[in-house]
Amino acid sequence: MRVTQSMLSTNMLRNLSNSYGKMSVLQDQINSGKKITRPSQDPVVATKGIGYRTDLSKVEQYQRNIGEVNNWLDSSDDALDHVGQAVIRLQELVTDAANDSKTSDDRKKIQVEITQMRQQIQDLGNTKVGDKYIFSGTNTLTPLHDENGFAEPSAYPGLTKDVKIEVYDGVELKVNTNGHELFKEIDEMLANIEKSLGDGSEGPVISGYLTEISNIQNSVLEKRADIGARQNRVEMMDNRLASQEIIATKRMSENEDIDYEEAITDMVTQESIHNAALSIGSKIIQATLVDFLR
Amino acid sequence: MGSTFMGLETARRGLTTQQSALYTTGHNISNANTIGYSRQRVNMEATLGYPGTGLNAPKIPGHLGTGVQAQSVQRIRDQFIDRQYRQETSKLGYWETRSNAVSQMEDILSEPSDFGLNTSLDQFWSSLQLLGTSPDDASTRQVVVQKGIAVAESFNYISKQLTEIQENLKNEILVTTKDMNSILKQIASINEEIQAIEPNGYMPNDLYDARDVLLDELSSYFPVEVSYEKSGGNALAIAEGSMNISIKTDAGLVNIVTGKDFASLTANTGTNTAITDAEGYQPFTSFTVTGSGKVPSDEIKYDDLEANKGQIHSLISSYGYGDTTAQTGFYPEMLKKLDELANAFAKAFNDVHTNGSDLNGNKGQDFFINKTDENISTGITASNIKVHNKFEKDPSLLAASTSDPINGTTGKPEPGNGGNALLLANIKAKPADGLGGATIQTFYQSMIGQMGVVGEQANRLAVNSATIQLTVANNRASVSSVSLDEEMTNMITFQQAYNANARMITVVDETLDKIINGMGRVGL
Repeated sequence: MRVTQSMLSTNMLRNLSNSYGKMSVLQDQINSGKKITRPSQDPVVATKGIGYRTDLSKVEQYQRNIGEVNNWLDSSDDALDHVGQAVIRLQELVTDAANDSKTSDDRKKIQVEITQMRQQIQDLGNTKVGDKYIFSGTNTLTPLHDENGFAEPSAYPGLTKDVKIEVYDGVELKVNTNGHELFKEIDEMLANIEKSLGDGSEGPVISGYLTEISNIQNSVLEKRADIGARQNRVEMMDNRLASQEIIATKRMSENEDIDYEEAITDMVTQESIHNAALSIGSKIIQATLVDFLR
Repeated sequence: MGSTFMGLETARRGLTTQQSALYTTGHNISNANTIGYSRQRVNMEATLGYPGTGLNAPKIPGHLGTGVQAQSVQRIRDQFIDRQYRQETSKLGYWETRSNAVSQMEDILSEPSDFGLNTSLDQFWSSLQLLGTSPDDASTRQVVVQKGIAVAESFNYISKQLTEIQENLKNEILVTTKDMNSILKQIASINEEIQAIEPNGYMPNDLYDARDVLLDELSSYFPVEVSYEKSGGNALAIAEGSMNISIKTDAGLVNIVTGKDFASLTANTGTNTAITDAEGYQPFTSFTVTGSGKVPSDEIKYDDLEANKGQIHSLISSYGYGDTTAQTGFYPEMLKKLDELANAFAKAFNDVHTNGSDLNGNKGQDFFINKTDENISTGITASNIKVHNKFEKDPSLLAASTSDPINGTTGKPEPGNGGNALLLANIKAKPADGLGGATIQTFYQSMIGQMGVVGEQANRLAVNSATIQLTVANNRASVSSVSLDEEMTNMITFQQAYNANARMITVVDETLDKIINGMGRVGL
């Protein structure tokens, strides 16, 4: 085959530009840390990449949701703990007041403390997390109790409803504790006790409240047990999400991240090939017969 | 007996012939870098011997040679390689243009990335999840509205950018057609010159080269078929003649150049309405071939264009063809899918949204609307999707709650109810109406996947055809291009031959000197 200068230079140019092309791809890869920068380089990696990104952003959001769930559960538990302590104190007071040795003056003094306790439990019923009243069901902007007495489900149907937060695809957790019934019951009982202590009722009437008090104690404990059970579930979910996050990140990385060792080695190899091509090129092009003729 | 001065004449012929060969070498060296130049060669032939035939011819022993003459100057070219080169150029033209069109689309969609439509949908989803956890929080509501606006704007942006590239493609079709018409005209006028020169017995090599360069350019636009018509008169047998060009279509050959006559092409939309550079989608339907002289008028329909050959076909198939409503072509199909996606998304979202109730317990209203009319939420496309202004002004209108909407005495607001927000969030992962069973997510993924596959194929074939074209170009260069070493060698050959001829003259001169000045002077 007849070979001419123009063929040599065309070929050399073409090879150099190929080599530049390869270097540019490698440089893109090293700079971005990704195997591909456009879908046409590998459509499969690209479409998978979109899916994995969505998966990861989901897991991250669910983790944020878990934070909110814990916020609700911890606050409810804490408030109910205070309620429980108040009920224990109430039991002591009522037992004390039921003694026949107590005078009506003594009972009036106890009545004052009960009044305070009633106030405190009403406040506990209005516990807020951020701007939300956590015991008001889905009517989170309505306090359970205000100067007009208790909010009623007839006006606020959300009071008895569950607040739910999604913690995984299709997994919704109830985060609130319906406080309306409980707090209203306690409040009514406290009102009665207050009244009995004030109107000179005798020991047997007052000790009659003790059964009611222990019932209430049970229901507070029941609610706290329920919260505890849910907290366990959330913790499990949290662990699951943490491992999900690792898996999703790993899958995404395996799909689209480059192996730096490999890419840099390729780059160095490509550079030396390129240098060789350049130096050979200068040798090919310089000499013709012209240089040797006189 | 021959003339006394015959030897001088023979040597003189040698001198002039070698000189013309030397000058041709000079011409070759000068044009070593001229695009499309083919090296030229002086075809030398021995002149007729002495004596010639005839009754009066003198009788001498032997037939004496009388020297050399330049019979013709010919370019060294292989037409079969040219043909192969043009075929590959057509393919390369198609795939290169295609790959370019896809890569521009990829730039706009920018997937996978942290700022594409998918990310914007993901962020909207996250904001809805957040709304699900705190439906009574005004700032959370505002975030949802803003992320919703971002989604709508992503759709708007992509649609607008794709349409703009489509407009550019249309202009490219118009410019390319113009360029092509100009090439046809130039080839025809070169044909005319050639027709004038060849009958005089000359080889217009440099005109052939110029014509072939134009033809190479033309073949990147269209697959072409070429035939030659010999000139009359005293034309040499090796003269190429004038060139007739036809476009190869599936419906047969369409003649566009015959001798000095040429056609001009007009790109049409609809029924023979010329495509203009006015804004707006004007899908291609056909080329009108307006003939003149020996070139008949004709028409080339889109379906008749040979598939996967030539830039023109690639530009048209990217830009769009057929009916305006059919939306056929690479860009129209992508835009159509994007519209379907925006429509299905807006519809699914509005359906769920209007089923819920807002912060004040009122029934939800359409969230996404049609930009052209605030009150309608039908006919939503990627270009006109918008979040209704009222949500930005009053985010409490977001229907995050699943409570019964207020209707007379029934239904009460539930600010802490985020059930509907979760339903809204889940739209992305649910099969949507109008997407053929796909979810918003998978539909979009398959759109990107499809674009990637088309791009991958175009890139691969562009590289392949470039490689093949280079090989053929090398073959062509191997035959036709100037080798300086070779020209140098020739230069020395011709120079020495010239010198030798000059020496011959000296020798003859010396012999004549002997006869003229040295004879008959015995004893002087």
